[in-house]
Amino acid sequence: MAQRLDRINRLLDGITRNRREITTPEGVTLEVDVANHGERLVAFLIDFLFWMLATVLLFLVLGLTLLHGVTGSVTVTVVLFLSFLLRNLYFIHFELQSQGATPGKRIVNLKVIDRSGGPLLPGAIVARNLTREVEIFLPLGLFFAVPKIGVGAEFWTAASYFGWAVALSALPFFNRDHLRAGDLIAGTMVISVPRRALLAELAEAQSRFVFNRKQLDAYGAFELQVLEELLRRPPSPDTQMMQDQVCEKIRRKIGWEEAIPPAETLDFLKAFYTAERAHLEREQQFGRYRADKNEPAATGP
Amino acid sequence: MTLRSAEFRRNRETAWRVLDDLVSRVEKKGLSRLSAAELQELPLLYRTAASSLSVARSIALDRNLILYLEGLVLRAFFVVYGPRIGVLEALGGFLKHGFPQAVRGAGWHILLATLAIAAGIAIGYLMVLPNEAWFSLLVPESMAGGRGPASTAEQLRRTEIFAPWPGFVDSFVVFANFLFRHNATIGIMTFGLGVFGGVPTLLLLGYQGVVLGAFFALHSNRGLLVDFIGWVSIHGVTEIGALILCGAGGLVIAEKILFPGRYNRLDSLAMAGKAAAGLAGGAVLMLFVAGLIEGGLRQLIASTPWRLAIGAATGALWAAYFLSSGRRGRHGPAT
Repeated sequence: MAQRLDRINRLLDGITRNRREITTPEGVTLEVDVANHGERLVAFLIDFLFWMLATVLLFLVLGLTLLHGVTGSVTVTVVLFLSFLLRNLYFIHFELQSQGATPGKRIVNLKVIDRSGGPLLPGAIVARNLTREVEIFLPLGLFFAVPKIGVGAEFWTAASYFGWAVALSALPFFNRDHLRAGDLIAGTMVISVPRRALLAELAEAQSRFVFNRKQLDAYGAFELQVLEELLRRPPSPDTQMMQDQVCEKIRRKIGWEEAIPPAETLDFLKAFYTAERAHLEREQQFGRYRADKNEPAATGP
Repeated sequence: MTLRSAEFRRNRETAWRVLDDLVSRVEKKGLSRLSAAELQELPLLYRTAASSLSVARSIALDRNLILYLEGLVLRAFFVVYGPRIGVLEALGGFLKHGFPQAVRGAGWHILLATLAIAAGIAIGYLMVLPNEAWFSLLVPESMAGGRGPASTAEQLRRTEIFAPWPGFVDSFVVFANFLFRHNATIGIMTFGLGVFGGVPTLLLLGYQGVVLGAFFALHSNRGLLVDFIGWVSIHGVTEIGALILCGAGGLVIAEKILFPGRYNRLDSLAMAGKAAAGLAGGAVLMLFVAGLIEGGLRQLIASTPWRLAIGAATGALWAAYFLSSGRRGRHGPAT
């Protein structure tokens, strides 16, 4: 199934997605799109922004309340501690609350799931987020704490902290499922769940065009679904032109004698789509799935 | 012309739309917004949609229909099998069951981490005792804090072991927090280094022991060993305990990477990773407690016997907590 749908994606949108199968507890296999690096980065940056905003607000509130009579170092300490708490609770809270999606992930349509298809447990969410401290915040904090101008030991310490952060951030680039260290430890992965609407049924009950079996044997499932995508495109002069071309191509391929006037193009294509789908679905029920036109038809010449 | 797939869709579409609506609402506002009846309906609709998807895959060639159902079932799957508890509940469950269970499950690793620290202490002690020149080589300046071969017994007693109480805010807020972050950094590093096969973890643990051993030798030479042990033990039992647990977590990870058993490395890591991360996460909470004791309580209690007693009591409390908590069997998924 994955390859079939992938092929159409590649043809129509020019994108290839890293896909992976998970099996739900009901035994249904679901294809999921592994989130790519760009999406994850954008989601993280959005979350980072929200979290920074919250921290800045906290700073302001604290600054106002603590202004009276408390020393600066106390304020700094309290703020540092609270921001540590805030950034960890932010991710854990939202991933627990909204089924594995922080606000940033929700905007980019990403979700955290259990890699093996089981339920996403709170322990896994806590583990994958606590690991973020080790991956990014701890080494970066240490990096900024070490004076970098010094020679010898200090330079190398700073360099090793920086290298640590870079190496762990680069981990998603070196595995198939784009897992970061937290995902490895918690057994999770991040996937992309684009929202799709259920569009109107294309098959039409009645039409003046009738096709015979030999004509319907010209194509397979791949061509049918490309035709479906073409029919579902929003109407425009561009779409109209493409539909005319495809109509002409199909007419020649199946040997339809009569010319189709441009006004009837859409009717003809819909009628052919309906007949072709009925034909291929019937064949499929008899165990003869036909992937594309290059595969021999059961009733071929 | 009648299409089986079109008819199939007509018969079930209403149920899919209802499910879609429920799932969208949960995604936007959370599970609590659904009524009791809707909550009951949700898993049923989910299973219906899942079976619809299986049927659609075998009889339909309508691409949009299959893609829609795949997306719908996936989204409903997250809602039905997603986590159902809040942050505080998760934390409570972790403290009640997860953390002590993880500690009990890591016996060997804890023993090994303890041995690494003990060996470090012995090495540091035996090296510095006869020749204090080693002290400045083994202990970095930031940790020595002015203490060293040049310190006299009187100085150590006055400025370190029985230093005056600096006041509530400075000790509990500023100093405790500094200590907490310093120790948490070391603890998390010990844990994280487990990824490299455990040897760096053991070395880092051993090195912490060496530093402590060097301090023991320094104070021993000035006849302050017992006072120093009291000074360390009041918070040290908690702190070193936490460090050992962090190290044990690192060793669990190292074990699963080096000896994945009959699973592949990733699965083996994922299975043990949650327990290992639980060890480290719980240890960080312990370090927080240790920071409070070290930052404040320690200077408040200026008596060696009392300090030793409190140190022993914290040790007994931690042991009781780890050994007894969360033993009873639970229903539902582990957290």
